[in-house]
Amino acid sequence: MSFLLPTTSASLSGVLRRQSVRAFTSSARVAQAEPLQKPVLMKEFKVYRWNPDEPAKKPTLQSYKIDLNQTGPMILDALIKIKNEMDPTLTFRRSCREGICGSCAMNIDGQNTLACLCRIDRNPNKDSKIYPLPHMYIVKDLVPDLTLFYKQYKSIQPWLQNDNPPEKGTFLSLSPEDRKKLDGLYECILCACCSTSCPSYWWNQDEYLGPATLMQAYRWIADSRDTHGEERKERLQNEMSLYRCHTIFNCSRTCPKGLNPASAIANIKLELAAE
Amino acid sequence: MSAQLILRSTLPRALLSRRALPASAILIRHSTTDAYAPVPGGPIYKGTVNDPTTFPPPSRVHGSYHWAFERLLSAGLVPMTIAAFVTSGSQHPILDGLLGVSLIVHSHIGFDTLLVDYIHKRKFPILAPVMTWTLRTATVASIVGIYQFNTNDIGLTELITKVWTA
Repeated sequence: MSFLLPTTSASLSGVLRRQSVRAFTSSARVAQAEPLQKPVLMKEFKVYRWNPDEPAKKPTLQSYKIDLNQTGPMILDALIKIKNEMDPTLTFRRSCREGICGSCAMNIDGQNTLACLCRIDRNPNKDSKIYPLPHMYIVKDLVPDLTLFYKQYKSIQPWLQNDNPPEKGTFLSLSPEDRKKLDGLYECILCACCSTSCPSYWWNQDEYLGPATLMQAYRWIADSRDTHGEERKERLQNEMSLYRCHTIFNCSRTCPKGLNPASAIANIKLELAAE
Repeated sequence: MSAQLILRSTLPRALLSRRALPASAILIRHSTTDAYAPVPGGPIYKGTVNDPTTFPPPSRVHGSYHWAFERLLSAGLVPMTIAAFVTSGSQHPILDGLLGVSLIVHSHIGFDTLLVDYIHKRKFPILAPVMTWTLRTATVASIVGIYQFNTNDIGLTELITKVWTA
């Protein structure tokens, strides 16, 4: 073996020298892998536009075409791409991009949902229509005015009220069974998808509280630590606040978190009737 | 790469926003002319944005009693209809009359819900009372009519049987 060594080392150094001498332009192309070129998949997005600076101009649907293979999987990714690269005047709310803040609630292809939880339909022949939450006053483009929604939420006093607060150093106890009653209620992120999908809320939102607020009302009625349940229920004893619910179930159908506001409202009605 | 990204994201944005916001557009936001003053039914909030909305005065008659009565009546109509279907109206005039009155009250509550939903007094101060009293008149007239029909004629159940077999 030893007699072979000098020749191999010589030939190896020759090869190395030859490669170092070779110019970059002549390097072998075939040896390098081609970067994967995804095919272009153009899809049209039609987005509701309205500018408060031109209040006399009617709202329009503006069309944007983007390459889905250069976009993230969700509608919010598409909107951010449009805003970054095509039209910085496009206005929408977004924050967490993972369905926990409720900012990006909008009407996508006829369904109220969170843009960050809604996958883009990859069929390039069908356009995606994006509107703000229906039947709300619009601040700009996809931004609805949720002032009344928050005022209504405040009216149900969404905080724990207990006349016998625990002594210092102790806690209000909550049994596992009582805690279970709050499941499916406390997860609500108040994105307003359900309330704005409810026809009753469309017609009477100045008086009717709407599914989101009513579900939170029940969340505090159902809480075993809260001692003001009677007052909470008494406030709902009128024609408008609660009983404009006609069990349409749009709320449960549209909820992007998979909650069931209709069931909570039915529970309030039962508790009120059983009193 | 990063320089390219910065250029790509901020430069067109700066250029476009400058193009999209002429000086006149900025002025509009600050001048509240009468042409764009809020209209009734528009977003006029009672109190400040931090004040909660208020509730109407509590009334169980309009609240849970109304709801429970409506549901019990609706549920009661099912056995009543079946009973009227199996028996004959002329032999059971009380059942016949009860069914007739229940149907009318049920319809009255249904129509009244329509009025509350769509023609409420707070939005239609003249039309709403007119419609409410029209409905009440129609309901009373129907009850009088069904009483006359059941006492002097063949009665509701018999009529439906006849129309059914005709």
